[in-house]
Amino acid sequence: MIFREVEDRDLIAKARRGDVEAFNLLVSRWERRVFNYLLRLLANREDALDVSQEVFLKAYQNLPKLDAVEKFAGWLFRIAHNEAFSLLRRKRPETVLPPGLDLSGVRPAETGGRLLPLELSLAVESALKLLNDDQRDAVLLKIYQGFKFDEMAEILGCPVSTVKSRLYTALELLKAALAPSVLRGESS
Amino acid sequence: MSCESMGCESHDWKSYALGEMDSPGRREAEAHAAVCPNCREELATLRLTLDTLSTLREEEIPRRIAFVSDQIFEPRWYSRAFRGIWSPNFAAACVIAAAILVHAFARPAPGQAAIQAQVDAAVIKAVAVVQANDAEQIDRAVRLNDDRYSEVYMEAKRIVRQ
Repeated sequence: MIFREVEDRDLIAKARRGDVEAFNLLVSRWERRVFNYLLRLLANREDALDVSQEVFLKAYQNLPKLDAVEKFAGWLFRIAHNEAFSLLRRKRPETVLPPGLDLSGVRPAETGGRLLPLELSLAVESALKLLNDDQRDAVLLKIYQGFKFDEMAEILGCPVSTVKSRLYTALELLKAALAPSVLRGESS
Repeated sequence: MSCESMGCESHDWKSYALGEMDSPGRREAEAHAAVCPNCREELATLRLTLDTLSTLREEEIPRRIAFVSDQIFEPRWYSRAFRGIWSPNFAAACVIAAAILVHAFARPAPGQAAIQAQVDAAVIKAVAVVQANDAEQIDRAVRLNDDRYSEVYMEAKRIVRQ
């Protein structure tokens, strides 16, 4: 991880001097993380891909404005967050969140009540859709991208207390939705 | 024993499970969990939820971000040229090119014949100086010899007369 940071720093310095190849390498290192974050947030593969493209274009254009190279990850995800929420606001009338957790397709009686990894993954995907956009964003940044509370506050542009509130509420909802009894299809 | 009496509210288990608690806080929380079944259960449920969330599979990006091949992201020609100026190879090429140009267009140096003429003139001049010095030394020696001879002759003549 330290080596990666050192190399990223070197690539960022080169990219800031206009070295396109260095920026291409930076894109190849970060595109998967950014794409997966956007995929979970937007819940649409094409949108996630288009927004990923926008994110890296904006990152390239604004790279000279990055004041601290070591904050590149947070800075990149802040761009991704802003772009994603910009799209979500535009698409808001079309966006209808599911009324409840639909696990009808992931209840395998033939496995003795235990979910297979793919089914568990689908269950988590469904559970994440129960959250509102802000809560889901907080979960994605903390649990899947590993940012600290203060880094999340910078990315989301809100106080740490708000970050914690969103995340804790989300965890309560997920705890209920992903309880073993729920996943086994037992009534609680 | 109730949670309130055991001080369970003072422990932020979500912060603990998410790795955001500092070391003293963690030690204190762990000491409490060791004696509090309710908090142990709360922590176990949280860990199970986080473990379940971690099973979400990360997806491969369907296609590479177009940045790599898209020409619109290429810097302008003058940016590339400006960057190139600072490369060592380009600088070395400039020095060599400048040397060739100077050599080609600068005023030509004197020819070989002119140099030879200058050398010959210098040699002639040096030889003349040496010859003049030699002649002067010879004249001086002859005069000295003549004077000495005259003195000897006069002395011999005086002795004969006596």
